[in-house]
Amino acid sequence: MNPLSKISRRRAITAAALFVLAACASPDGEPTQIADPLEPVNRYIFAANLALDTTVIEPVATVYRNIVPDPARDSVRNFLRNLESPVLLTNDVLQRDIGAAGVTTKRFFINTTVGILGLFDRASDMGLARRDEDFGQTMGTYGVGPGAYLVLPILGPSSLRDAAGNFVDYYFDPLNYYAGNTDRANISFLRAGIRGVDTRARAIETLDEIERTSIDFYATIRSLYHQRRQSEIRNGSTPSLPKLDLSSDADEDRTASLEN
Amino acid sequence: MTRLRPFVLALVLTTTVSVGALAQQARADNPEKFIASLGDRALQVLIVGSQDPSERDAAFREILDEGFDLPLIGRYALGRYWRRATSVQRREYVKLFEDFIVLTYVARLGEYGGETLRVVSSRPDDRDTVVISEIVLEGRPSIRVDWRVRDGDPDRSEPKIIDVIVEGISMLLTQRDEFASVIQRSGGNVEGLLARLREKSSDK
Repeated sequence: MNPLSKISRRRAITAAALFVLAACASPDGEPTQIADPLEPVNRYIFAANLALDTTVIEPVATVYRNIVPDPARDSVRNFLRNLESPVLLTNDVLQRDIGAAGVTTKRFFINTTVGILGLFDRASDMGLARRDEDFGQTMGTYGVGPGAYLVLPILGPSSLRDAAGNFVDYYFDPLNYYAGNTDRANISFLRAGIRGVDTRARAIETLDEIERTSIDFYATIRSLYHQRRQSEIRNGSTPSLPKLDLSSDADEDRTASLEN
Repeated sequence: MTRLRPFVLALVLTTTVSVGALAQQARADNPEKFIASLGDRALQVLIVGSQDPSERDAAFREILDEGFDLPLIGRYALGRYWRRATSVQRREYVKLFEDFIVLTYVARLGEYGGETLRVVSSRPDDRDTVVISEIVLEGRPSIRVDWRVRDGDPDRSEPKIIDVIVEGISMLLTQRDEFASVIQRSGGNVEGLLARLREKSSDK
């Protein structure tokens, strides 16, 4: 028997467990902040990830960026993104977003043909912009909250919902079945590795700047992660500000501060 | 009379709606112009490398002082801890917050320095107007930037920015989350935050 089927069964069980946890997690009282009951563990993993990033990942990403010219790196990303089309399409459909499903389908055909197997994003040039979708977002559109914030080893910021979503997306991807059925599991790993390095290479300055200007880097990343996910789920509309709840005591506060 | 009622109702409704819409339009116009000029100036000031950092920060601070309601932003960012702070702490916080906001805004908007800002539209949102704009980048997808403008009251009239939202990420909410975390980790004491802010403002 193929050892992979055992692995994938275990993955499925873990995914189911995460899914249930994510679904149970009640919506947070403070919607702008993500619940972080595992903060001590998360901070520990965050620090470990950071150490790994400084010693290995960032140097690798820097080298990758320095030796591979921009157009080639764009093509790598375009190629990998084009391969993700089935996952995007499945989630577009699950979100009942027929317009987006149409765009994803057109993009796939245009980029696979005119874009030479996805190396060039000709569809974007034609005004068909890519929009990222995943099962975590799909759950979000059905009102599933993020549950708890998670920092995954190596992979970084996530949440119960989004980690469960990643497991589900794995099964939306034909390439994983192909890799599994032909005993080429390393295809999936290789792809994840390249994607990771490429993504990291694109964020070198940005992340450095955020780290430099933060007084609590962990909390900043947690906030940025949550806000980005919320924004992706809303597909771009502006979030509302939390209530300041000082409409009545504003003046009182002002006088109080003047008195002293 | 009963037959007239729908007409009267319709008349009342259209008048109210159109007057409301007109007032809204007048208000919506100004924030857009305001952002178009201020945002553009900010981006020009932020051109990295073309001037020395302290000069750039000073110029940016001037724009912040002019266009942003810094005291209000500071209070939002401190959230419920504002009320727990003593007046001495508040005064120091407001000062340190200004340094911090210059530091973070310059860092996070700096990469768009010298690019063009294009105002797309605006819409009312509660007490504010949200002006939607994009930073147009050559050969790359444009970056969406939303500006939350608190309408000025009739007396002081000046509208002021209270938040900048880059690709759905609010600077204000990020700072608020970060500050809350620092305070919680120092046992709910605002002093812990002030200490960190002091460090940041001195190690520039």
